[in-house]
Parts: sequence; C-alpha cells; structure tokens
Amino acid sequence: MPIIKKYSVKVSEIKNPLPDLYEVTFKSNDKSFSFLPGQFLHLALDPYSPSEPWPESRCFSIRGYGDEGNGDEGNQRQLRIIFSVKGSFTRRMQNEMKVGSTVTLKMPYGDLFSRPQLMSQIHTHSSIILLAGGTGITPFLSLFSSNQFSQYLSPTLYLGVKSKSHHIYGPELLLAQQKNPSLKTKILVETDEGGAGCDFERYSYERGPLDIKNIFSNHGPNSTYFISGPPSMIKNFRGYLLEQGLDPSKIITDDWQ
Amino acid sequence: MLDSQVTSWINNYYKKNFKEKNFGYGGGKKFIPGKDPIRYAGRVFDQEELLKLVEASLDFWLTEGRFAEEFSVKIAEYLDVNNVMLTNSGSSANLLAFTALTSKRLGDRRLLAGDEVISVAAGFPATVTPIIQNGQIPVFVDIDLQTYNINIEMLERAISNKTKAIFVAHTLGNPFNLQAVMDLAKKHNLWLIEDNCDAFGSYYNERPTGTFGDISTMSFYPAHHITTGEGGAVVTNNEELAKIVRSFRDWGRDCYCNSGENNTCGKRFSQQFGTLPSGYDHKYVYSEIGYNLKMTDLQAAIGSAQMDKLNEFCRRRVENFHAYQEIFSPYSKYFIQPLATANSSPAWFAYIVTLNKNTAPFTRDQLVKHLNDHLIETRYMFAGNITRQPCFTEREQEIKYRIADHLDNTDYIMNNTFFLGVYPGLSAEMLDYVSKVLKDFITSF
Repeated sequence: MPIIKKYSVKVSEIKNPLPDLYEVTFKSNDKSFSFLPGQFLHLALDPYSPSEPWPESRCFSIRGYGDEGNGDEGNQRQLRIIFSVKGSFTRRMQNEMKVGSTVTLKMPYGDLFSRPQLMSQIHTHSSIILLAGGTGITPFLSLFSSNQFSQYLSPTLYLGVKSKSHHIYGPELLLAQQKNPSLKTKILVETDEGGAGCDFERYSYERGPLDIKNIFSNHGPNSTYFISGPPSMIKNFRGYLLEQGLDPSKIITDDWQ
Repeated sequence: MLDSQVTSWINNYYKKNFKEKNFGYGGGKKFIPGKDPIRYAGRVFDQEELLKLVEASLDFWLTEGRFAEEFSVKIAEYLDVNNVMLTNSGSSANLLAFTALTSKRLGDRRLLAGDEVISVAAGFPATVTPIIQNGQIPVFVDIDLQTYNINIEMLERAISNKTKAIFVAHTLGNPFNLQAVMDLAKKHNLWLIEDNCDAFGSYYNERPTGTFGDISTMSFYPAHHITTGEGGAVVTNNEELAKIVRSFRDWGRDCYCNSGENNTCGKRFSQQFGTLPSGYDHKYVYSEIGYNLKMTDLQAAIGSAQMDKLNEFCRRRVENFHAYQEIFSPYSKYFIQPLATANSSPAWFAYIVTLNKNTAPFTRDQLVKHLNDHLIETRYMFAGNITRQPCFTEREQEIKYRIADHLDNTDYIMNNTFFLGVYPGLSAEMLDYVSKVLKDFITSF
C-alpha cells in the first residue's frame, strides 16, 4: 500500500441526514490527501504526539474527497467519511466532534479494489457485483467517484436500506450512472416507512432484505462479489458463497470488528 | 519543532565542530596536500542533519515514526513510486527484495530451491549472497569493460529453463542497459531486481533507476549518495511484493501495524490463520519466515535531511567524475576510462578506471600503492571476481553456482581496476593534488 501518513485535520462540515448517521468532512492542515478507491483510514480523537504510541482509533471507509467527481485528484485537502453511532468510540465522535475540532487521521489502508489476484477481473472490469448494506456503500461511493470506475463493464450494485428515507445516496448514484452508464443498480428496502430520500423512480427497487441466494442465482460463480456492510451480513453472505463452491478469491469483503 | 535556543546552539556546534573541519560541500577547511587525506567517500552533511537528529532524539521514539514517514515520502516523491520500505541497511534491502520472491503468495512465479538467478561476479557480495542464502543458484555473467555492467549478449545466452530472475546492480552508479535487460526479463517471464544501492540519482532514458524492475533496493551507508549511517530501502510499485517485503522485514508477521499501533486492520481478534485458534491475536500471526530489519526514526531523520540535498550531491558527483576524466585523459593510452551506458545519466558512485596492461609500464597495484602513500584513498572493484573469494573457494562443495561462458573481463578488472572517490566532500584543490600525484607517478616511468 502507499506510504501511510498521519494528518492533523480540522472538521469542516458535519451533516446528520438520519438519526445516528453522520457525514463528516475533514480539511487537512498541511498535506494533501491521497488514496485509492475502497481504502480506509484510522481516526483518533485524542491528540497524537510523535513521542507517544498512536492513540485509540477506529477504521472508517473513505467516502471521497471534498468535491464530488474528483476522486482521482492527487492534490485534495478535503476528505469525507460516514459513520453510524454504534459503540463508545462513535458515541464520542458524535459528542466531541464539532466544526473546527482537530482530530488525527492515519491513512490510507486497504486494497479492496486493487488486490493483485483481482487484477485480471479488474482489467476486464467485468462481472463485478457490489453488495452494500446501508452505510456499507461507502467504499463503493469512493469507487464511483473515481475515474477508474468508467472502465468497469456492466457492474451491478445491490444496496440494502432499512427504508426509503435511509437511501440518502441518490446524488452519488446519479453521478455514478453518468460516469458509467452500464452500471445497474437495485435498491432493496426493508420497510416502506419514511419519505423518499431520493428519486426512487429512477432505480429498480424491491421490498425486502438483500438476498444472497437470489443474487448468486442471477450472477453465478464467474462473478466477483464485493460485500460491505454489517459484520453479520458479511459473514452470512461469504459463508453462503463459499458453500456454493465459489473460489475465495472471488469474495472480497470490507469488514472490521 | 526545536526551540530557537536549541537550534542556535546546534547551528553553532555544527559550525565549530564540523564545517570548519570539512572540505567540499558545506565545508570551509583549506586542504593541505600531503597532510590531509583524500577519502574515497564519506558522510556529507550540514546543520540540518544535526537539527533533525536532535529533534528525533528528543521525540525519543526509538523505532519507525514520523521521520520514517517523512523520509519515505521524500523517496517516493523523488522516484514517483508507491511503496518505500525502509530497512537497516542496503544489504538487508537486497536480502528482503530477493527473499520476497520466494514467498508462496507468488504462486507459480515464486523462486524455489535450485532455480537459477542471473547475476554478476564483479560486484558487491550483497547482490549475490541472498541468492545463495535462499537456496537458488547464481549464474554469473561477465561484464563489459568501460561500463562495468552485465554483458547483454552473454546474459541472453545464460538464460536457461531454470532461470527465474535477474538480480544485478547499476555498477558504481552507471545504469546497466535497462531496455535490453527488461526486454529479456519480459520475454522469458523473469523477475528483475534492480540493485540501485550505488545509483540513487542516476537516470536511464530520463527516468530514475530503481523504477524499472519489479523491485529495487537502495543503500544509505555513508559511502552512498545520501546517508543515514546504516540504512537502506526496498522500493516497488507491485502491491503484492510490497506486502511480502514488509512481512519479511517485520519478523514475517501478517500484521502491518507500525510500532506503537494496534488493530490497524480492524480485525485483530476475528480472523483464523493456519491451524491457530480462531481469533488468535493478529499481531502474532506469522505468514513468512522473516527477520527484523527495520530502520529507526533517528536514522530516518538524517535521511530526510539528506534527501533535500540529493540533487546537489549528484550534481557534484558528476562534476567530480568529469574532472577525473580530464585528469586521466592525457594518459588514456595507459587506461581504459569509464563510459556511461547509452541513454543514461549516471550519478556516479566513483571514478573507476582500468589499466591497459598491454601498454601501461606499471601495474595497478604499483599505482594504487603510490596513491595511497600520498594519502589518496582508492578501492578495488568490490569483490573483483566473487567466485575467487574465500567465501566461495572454501565452500566449493557447498555453494552451487554456474559461470555462463567465461568471466574473462571479470578477472581482468579484478587484476587491473580501481576506483577513486567522487563524493561531494572533495574540493577542487584535492582533485588538483590527485592530478599532480598521478602525473608524478606516470612520468617517473
């Protein structure tokens, strides 16, 4: 992976589109950010000193640079992440991060879309199935905003959300479609409650959870499956695909404890 | 950041204890011929290295830290590469670069015991020893006089169905014929390791050496273009090789946390490896049989300051090299003077010259003795012919190797070649003195 750098950053914007869901934009105090689609960062709330061990931190997928559609620019000073409040650290983030707060980032990590064994698939850019559970869509958003996404042949995104109001990714998916018109998107909605967060008429959507059996029967063992979402979803989906005899190298996951 | 009082003190200390005692770059001492030695190489620095070193020591972060990041980034930006793995020496870098190719993660392309690796016998041992240490068979190819680099025609003939890799150095800063070697590597699906230890700052086809092969290595020993004292680096744009090198460098572990960090992968206790219990601490999972060959932040701090001087250092090395070309040119009938490889701009490590034994009325050893008696340091061409070294001759039954065709030129340079320093610590007065001593010697015959 590229050289890991530590960044002292200021929180420049916080959006709260849903209860306990936040989108945060950071601005670097000095260095430009540089990352590949699908990579993640570590965020530390406590001050970092080079004389001390790295403080407590958590992993977050990088959503993109500050400006939409400039995913591959090498000279960006703004970065965005999404987080859900799930545990004590994200609760601290919710309580302590305000616009103007300083935190430290360490990045970039991960090779979700650049693993060597994927290179043949990536070079053909075909048969790529992207399975996202809720905010698990984040690493895919960074792919969609990158220039390399236009090289993918007919990728398919399955996005599972709790309700229509939880689908807040309309603008990004619109841009993704413009970047790669061969992208097919299917939204699966668990409940009908809540107003539309975006134009659902634009997408194919169904009522119900993401169903790996259904998805696999549609796309088969020659596809490569990227799975990003809650740990239980990743575990269940991976387990099912392996039971179907899929080569482990064709199951790529973005998961943390 | 150091406070102004400390900075001022260090600046004064540098001026009093180093600047006034050094020659060449950053120095101010007047050279006294016959009294002051002319070294072939050495550290060249100013107060910036001391300032960074003090800053690093006051951090008291004793392993890789912020200066390792800073230094790595500077190297990466200079070479325009993605991965820079700092090591504790160039020899360790060579060991890691080569050993990485034995990893099972490389599947069919991994090197196995008995595979052949093309190299040269006329070089530094650290380009050869990893091959033997890993159980592969070095195949020694002769070199060209004047460029001192691997002979391409002989290289092609040396390739067999057992050949899996080429591991050669850019001799004394002079790039080998990268186009031809890359073509052969591609044609025969061979790994190419560029030993760039003596050539940081050299260019081939207007591109830095160390950026052509699958993987390359660098040395920061004081004789080299920049120094960290002991130190080196492995460089690659191949992400898989980078991961493997890091693993071998860091005890063979699967974890990629830096010192003082935990759970960088976010899955520290939730994976299963080998037949270990599920959830075994990822910090203690080992996927390779590795070493600990990391650099400290103190060394990296020096390296970071040195990187800011690399271009100037290289410029002076080239200038000194050309000065030696002029010094030796009146006697060109006695010497084979060095020649830059076509399409290259070497950042010379040294001025290397070979006696024409058919015309010279003296021997190399006579000349070298004369120079050294006059406090002018010289060196022979590293191991000369490594197969004649005791580490080989005393292990004839143990070390397997093959000589492709012959090593006639290798033996010739072993007997007739030496080099002089071109490092930035030389002054014009020193070069004038070398010229005088050389002239006095030659005209005495």
